[in-house]
Amino acid sequence: MIDKHVLLVEDNPNDEALTLRAFKKCNIANEVVVVRDGAEALAYLLDDYGDVMLPVLILLDLKLPKVNGLEVLRQIRADPRTWHIPVIVLTTSAQEDDVVACYRLGANAYVRKPIKFSAFAEAVRAIGVFWLLLSEPMPDGVPSAPPGPRPWSAAATPDLTP
Amino acid sequence: MACVAANDRIVLVNAQLERLFGYRREELIDQPVEILVPDAIGARHPGLWAGYVADPQPRLMGTGPELAGRRRDGSVFPADISLCAIDIDDGLLLAIAVRDVTERRRVTDLEAFTYSVAHDLRAPLRALSGFSEALLEDYGDALDDEGRDFAQRIVESSEQMATLIEDLLRLSSGTLADMQLRTIDLGAEAAEIAGELQRHDPQRRVSLAIQRPVLARADPALIRTVLQNLLENAWKFTSGQGDASIEFGATKAGDGRLCCYVRDDGPGFDPAYNDKLFQPFQRLHTTQEFSGTGVGLASVRQIVERHGGRVRAEGAIGKGAAFYFTLEAEELT
Repeated sequence: MIDKHVLLVEDNPNDEALTLRAFKKCNIANEVVVVRDGAEALAYLLDDYGDVMLPVLILLDLKLPKVNGLEVLRQIRADPRTWHIPVIVLTTSAQEDDVVACYRLGANAYVRKPIKFSAFAEAVRAIGVFWLLLSEPMPDGVPSAPPGPRPWSAAATPDLTP
Repeated sequence: MACVAANDRIVLVNAQLERLFGYRREELIDQPVEILVPDAIGARHPGLWAGYVADPQPRLMGTGPELAGRRRDGSVFPADISLCAIDIDDGLLLAIAVRDVTERRRVTDLEAFTYSVAHDLRAPLRALSGFSEALLEDYGDALDDEGRDFAQRIVESSEQMATLIEDLLRLSSGTLADMQLRTIDLGAEAAEIAGELQRHDPQRRVSLAIQRPVLARADPALIRTVLQNLLENAWKFTSGQGDASIEFGATKAGDGRLCCYVRDDGPGFDPAYNDKLFQPFQRLHTTQEFSGTGVGLASVRQIVERHGGRVRAEGAIGKGAAFYFTLEAEELT
């Protein structure tokens, strides 16, 4: 059982090593658990292992094997146990479609991985400081259910097809 | 657009369909509709047709599977086909709309390619840059000067490649982006860009002469890329001199179009290379002299041509450079 850990969903071993190094560099002590595809992420978060600790922060890549990042995000937001966990999309894509889709599905932030390592390390540091130190997480033990469909989300849009 | 009777015979066609398929009207009337269907589908078509006629639900353009059409010369093109049944006195008439989607498919392919460039090329590059920086940081002491220099070169080259990829993506977005024409004051845009350049380089002494307003019909985001590239170039190429002047303005061309220009008093260029300037990845300077990837002016040309305009450069060594582009003028009423 790991308390207050970060879940990194990342299929690229180089990006994984660089992200872990960036965490280490800026002295963020929280443990980082790595899963390497979308299916593994969903199993980690949503399969019921009894008394398992959920992460306090999820760093999510978009282009993932098996189940892509958008679907992972959708399922995280739809589940009563995980819908409130901050999800930071950390990806290479800067496609406007992807940014829009992520916010639409309830991502807390969208960060494009910079190519230069010093900039990448700074991005990881800033994410860690804000989401692990500054931001208050949802209190434990508060009964919580995912909010209903947002008025603007696809699920809430009436079907207009004839 | 064609109308076909339930018995599969063509009843009516319009001029657009004649053009699309390369037939004259009389060659199509009373022919079976299979004449327009590629051989690969042709054999199954009567069965599909009968099935459709038995239960004629409208199939909307763009919602059906991507189908194909066969021209008179036998060539095949991808098509969107929509069907709509009309009840008339002597039975059922099917209105068929056909649209050639070759261009759309080409754009989709290019978009997929661009996405792949954006995503898949950047990932290994981040590893190159990241691990060579990590090498310098963590093992810098274990390397001698030459070793550190090698690692430093990897860091710099990967940054250079990152810039190249950005520029390539910008070049392709000039082709792919949807154009939305608005009336824009190019002078105001130019002044804003020049202001940013000055803020970025506060020690530079550049006299800016920017004509305002210069009203034109253009896509705001794309035309901003044009002005940005031209003004950044002017700024960059005059960076070696103590005092520089950069000018933006426009004149009415003979055909009523607007001819805009960005002019500088920098080192200019050899007019012998005039035709190379607007080609992608062509550079007239080494990266030691002036930074850049050689994509800026190619992007300018591409965007201006998409607006139906032309680009042209004038310059001589030591005499500065001027870049011209034409646009649709906004008539002042």
